[in-house]
Amino acid sequence: MRLDIAPILSTLGRHKLTATLIVLQIALTCAILCNATFLISDRLRWMQTPSGIDDDRIVRLMVSDIGPRADMHARVEADLAALRAIPGVEAVTVTNSLPFGPSSWNTPVRLTRDQSTPSLEAAAYYGEAVGETLGLRLVAGRFIRPDEYTWVDDHAAKQVRGSPVVVVTQALAQRLFPDQSAIGRSIFIGDEELHIVGIVERLARAGDQSRSGVYETLLLPWRMVTAYGGGFAVRARPGEAGRVRQAAAAALKAVDPRRVIIEKRLYTEVRDRYFATDRATTVLLAGVCVALLVVTALGIVGLVSFWVAQRRRQIGIRRALGASRIDVLRYFQTENFLLASMGIALGMVLAYAINLLLMREYELPRLPFGYLPVGAVVLWLLGQAAVLAPALRAASVPPVVATRG
Amino acid sequence: MLKMTHLAKVYRTEVVETYALRDFNIDVKEGEFVAVTGPSGSGKTTFLTIAGLLETFTGGHYHLDGVEVSQLDDNARSRIRNEKIGFIFQAFNLIPDLNVFDNVEVPLRYRGMKAAERKQRIMDALERVGLASRAKHYPAELSGGQQQRVAIARALAGSPRLLLADEPTGNLDTQMARGVMELLEEIHREGATIVMVTHDPELAARAQRNVHVIDGQVVDLAEEPRFHAHAHLANS
Ligand SMILES: Nc1ncnc2c1ncn2[C@@H]1O[C@H](COP(=O)(O)OP(=O)(O)OP(=O)(O)O)[C@@H](O)[C@H]1O
Ligand SMILES: [Mg+2]
Repeated sequence: MRLDIAPILSTLGRHKLTATLIVLQIALTCAILCNATFLISDRLRWMQTPSGIDDDRIVRLMVSDIGPRADMHARVEADLAALRAIPGVEAVTVTNSLPFGPSSWNTPVRLTRDQSTPSLEAAAYYGEAVGETLGLRLVAGRFIRPDEYTWVDDHAAKQVRGSPVVVVTQALAQRLFPDQSAIGRSIFIGDEELHIVGIVERLARAGDQSRSGVYETLLLPWRMVTAYGGGFAVRARPGEAGRVRQAAAAALKAVDPRRVIIEKRLYTEVRDRYFATDRATTVLLAGVCVALLVVTALGIVGLVSFWVAQRRRQIGIRRALGASRIDVLRYFQTENFLLASMGIALGMVLAYAINLLLMREYELPRLPFGYLPVGAVVLWLLGQAAVLAPALRAASVPPVVATRG
Repeated sequence: MLKMTHLAKVYRTEVVETYALRDFNIDVKEGEFVAVTGPSGSGKTTFLTIAGLLETFTGGHYHLDGVEVSQLDDNARSRIRNEKIGFIFQAFNLIPDLNVFDNVEVPLRYRGMKAAERKQRIMDALERVGLASRAKHYPAELSGGQQQRVAIARALAGSPRLLLADEPTGNLDTQMARGVMELLEEIHREGATIVMVTHDPELAARAQRNVHVIDGQVVDLAEEPRFHAHAHLANS
């Protein structure tokens, strides 16, 4: 290999302005690319966060009942009975929230009754057998028993005191009791002391919470009612969610023809809506990256084409002095490799600077070192690809140009 | 060393065919110093570019150092240019972005020579042309005569067997031209074969042999009294 680095560098030194401009362009592209790929992969990972439930088998329905009703408990029981009767339905409940749903019901959790600042804000799920219906995986203890549930409205009106039990996620248990088993320990929600009877693997919360607390959720022993904003969560047999959705809407309508079905969605759609902005941002970022790469590639093509035209005679001279076509091709590719390397080196510093700024202004995580080679490799390849066409043109300059200009 | 028989070179454009060389015959022996003269447009440069493997020809035969060059591919031609031929052009043809040292180094790099040997040869060559002190200068910082001496150093550094010069003194004043000529003669004495195109009768006279080209053909001056007279006049 005859890599003529020294003379190429000194030639570039004689064309400082153009060389600097292209190096800066490569640096900026590299820096943005590193950060953007990091943000994109970070979002993609976030978008794949497991909800903890059987995503494909859950259907959510919301109804709005018109006019006053005497007994909302009886209505809920009737609705649930109607839904259970649908073939393909395995379980059904009314719940206040779903993972990555639109609204999260947050509640402060304390470890002692008189703790002044709560340990954390957990998202609470209400609804009889929510855990079983959604398909949560129990890792310790048990779910809440049927006899332990009280109606949420009775509870709110302080007519009854519910059983003092709660099921928490592993993440919550870890956070509250890092060193010992959480089973049997107490937490305080409001002024109520609740004993942890079970731990589930995970259950994501809804709403816009910080990602780190996404699994800090718990299940309370309260039966939810639709009048309090609860929705039906229906668990279908595998592959039957689509059909069950239609049948469920019809069944609810049959219970009371005047009511309005305001929502009937597969859980996967609920989830998709939640991540819609993330998806859009990802697409936008990817678009920006592609645009930036195209612009940089065109910049390289333009500059090298200009240089090839400008150096036509000296290419001819080099050919006359014994350079083969490959030598000429390699000259321009080496030159581009050097420019790209300078740009990449600068770009990595810049990437960290941009990342620091993002970390401070937008509380984004630190850029892992692993993303720097991504930008480097992409720009090296891009540079080599962009330079190919003009470099081939250079290689085809005939040696006779040396004598005839 | 260099033998062309019935060589033809046709330049074809969309409208015309120009016979730059036709039935061109020449035989330059190893170690000869040949001056090529002739009117403008007669085909001298064309002959030299073909002789130096810068261009292909249309018909006939060309043996360089015993090898029929029309059989060679581009890479082989590049290698022969690099190893056997040194060029000196009228317009010097230094690379403006490289300093004197780097300019002389260009052909040596294409030969894949080690850095230490390259340096040795470059400094020797620059020493010979009297420009060792200007190694870090750029061509634009040198006079025409100095630039041409750098070009000669570049041609010399690779120790070529054949030196091709196209009006090497065309852009120089008489005194500088004489200096260049002395250098060529010295190189010739050391064993190189030199073919030099020139318009200068005084320089042509100093060569061992003159070849006159008219309309793309080598003309024997002895058979053409008119030209003989002209050459004689020029030589005296
Ligand atoms: N690339 C080309 N295309 C067409 N015709 C060409 C080309 N190069 C040279 N010619 C023609 O070939 C002929 C010989 O040109 P050449 O340059 O060899 O002349 P020369 O003897 O070197 O002239 P001068 O003394 O002016 O340098 C001329 O008629 C010229 O116009
Ligand atoms: Mg000429």
